[in-house]
Amino acid sequence: MEMMNVKQLTKKYGSTNVLKGINLTIYQGEVFGFVGHNGAGKSTLIHILTDIVNKSGGSFEILGIPDQHMNQVKKRVGVMPDISNLYENMKGIDFLRYMGELSLANSSKEYYLSLMRDVGLEGAEWKKIKSYSFGMKKKISIAQALLGNPELIILDEPTSGLDPESAIEIRNMITELQKSGKTIFLTSHNLDEIEKICDRVGILSEGVIKKLGTPRELKIAANESKEAIGLIIRTKPVLTADHISQISDDLDINISFLHTKKDYTFLKVTSEDGLPQLSKKIMESGILLYEVKMEEQSLEEVFMNTKEE
Amino acid sequence: MTQVLKREFIDAFKSVRSILILLFITYVSYQSAKFFDQNQDMINQFAEESGIGTGALYTAAIAFVVLIFGFLFVFAISHDLINREIEMKTIRLLVTKTSRIQIVLGKFLGVLLFWVVTISISFAIISLITGAWFLKDYVQTMIFLFYIISFVLFISTIISKTKLTMFIGIFLGIVLPIIGLIAVYSDKWYFIPFKYLLPYNYLEGSIVMTFIPLVIGVCFISISIMLLNRKDF
Repeated sequence: MEMMNVKQLTKKYGSTNVLKGINLTIYQGEVFGFVGHNGAGKSTLIHILTDIVNKSGGSFEILGIPDQHMNQVKKRVGVMPDISNLYENMKGIDFLRYMGELSLANSSKEYYLSLMRDVGLEGAEWKKIKSYSFGMKKKISIAQALLGNPELIILDEPTSGLDPESAIEIRNMITELQKSGKTIFLTSHNLDEIEKICDRVGILSEGVIKKLGTPRELKIAANESKEAIGLIIRTKPVLTADHISQISDDLDINISFLHTKKDYTFLKVTSEDGLPQLSKKIMESGILLYEVKMEEQSLEEVFMNTKEE
Repeated sequence: MTQVLKREFIDAFKSVRSILILLFITYVSYQSAKFFDQNQDMINQFAEESGIGTGALYTAAIAFVVLIFGFLFVFAISHDLINREIEMKTIRLLVTKTSRIQIVLGKFLGVLLFWVVTISISFAIISLITGAWFLKDYVQTMIFLFYIISFVLFISTIISKTKLTMFIGIFLGIVLPIIGLIAVYSDKWYFIPFKYLLPYNYLEGSIVMTFIPLVIGVCFISISIMLLNRKDF
């Protein structure tokens, strides 16, 4: 089921085109990660989808409701815009109550207290938000996004600026939310995080989605487009440039020796087709072969390449 | 909308400025009603000579305070009604939860309710002393305040800096009553727009005229909603 469907969405600020025709579909139960460098338009897209900013063109539907009637869908979507948007002078519990009542959510005190406990803010309920640490502000911001048990949760950089422990807590929370059937749309600068928790990723660059797919798909596609494949081989004794030149003579592929490190030899090959033959040759030459591994492009490299394209 | 209204209303009572204004208006109403009650012969004679009803005399103090200080008082409490949320970016949270029109109406009605309570306390005091509720003056005062609050809402929507609205609020709070009252009695061409746009001219007219500030106020609210709907936060 489609939870969000974006068609040719554009946003102009003066003469600057921030979004140049975004097309995107988010499906029920998935965690979708949106990455892009600063100023790529990630936050602008989230702001349009959450009625913070008006679109310039195109259209979108959330939970089957067209953007012209977005007010009808607000109660069913949880949004964490930015921690700088909090009512700093309110106590944590009062803030949640105010936000909850706006969402027409369950308004019992116990509900808000349990929500604060769930996000790890036990003991901070009666403290003013301005006294919260950065991590606590992120957590209460997420808590307000969960009010009213929304079907779709939109999180704008939920872990940015957090210490590793808090970031892991929030990542676990996102995973738990997905397990409970929620659909999550998030932006992040942390590509490791995106790779760990997201089912699909969109890479936004210069106002358009340049790449879209599962992290695995993106990495495979990036590898396929490469002219040479990196190869890491662990042998005893370690392979030298001489070994490689002897072995490669009878092979159909071109092999270049790069360097060695401990027991590992780093090579570049033009095609993966000759790898079984290469392994066989190594073993026949009396060298003990322990491991052959193709060097994969990380999501980070995929992102960097997208930026350069 | 009710939550925004409730919060705005409660917050109004938390501010020192609004408590002082409430106490000031209540005190003036009480003292004037007590004075007129103790000098009823003078009131009756004055009412007879001037043709003004005794009710208007009893409520004259409230009318005076609202006519002269109304803009200043409302600006003092609510100059940042909308732009405070924009400046603090908390509007970003609000718009994800409820519609922009409900935010504007909730805020407007919250402030209006504060003034309804404040003015009602004053009229209740006069009513206790005189034994009568002066409905026409009450409605007229409320329509006047409706106009002022909607005007303040409009200013707070078109100017995004709270410091600027505070400064402009003080300026307009002093200047508008002066211009408004002069415009009522002046035929100079440059006062004509103020005569018809400000609420002072409609105080001494037919019942229909009394409601014109209400219509202008609704226009201010509608424009504010329209502007806010088009705004990016």
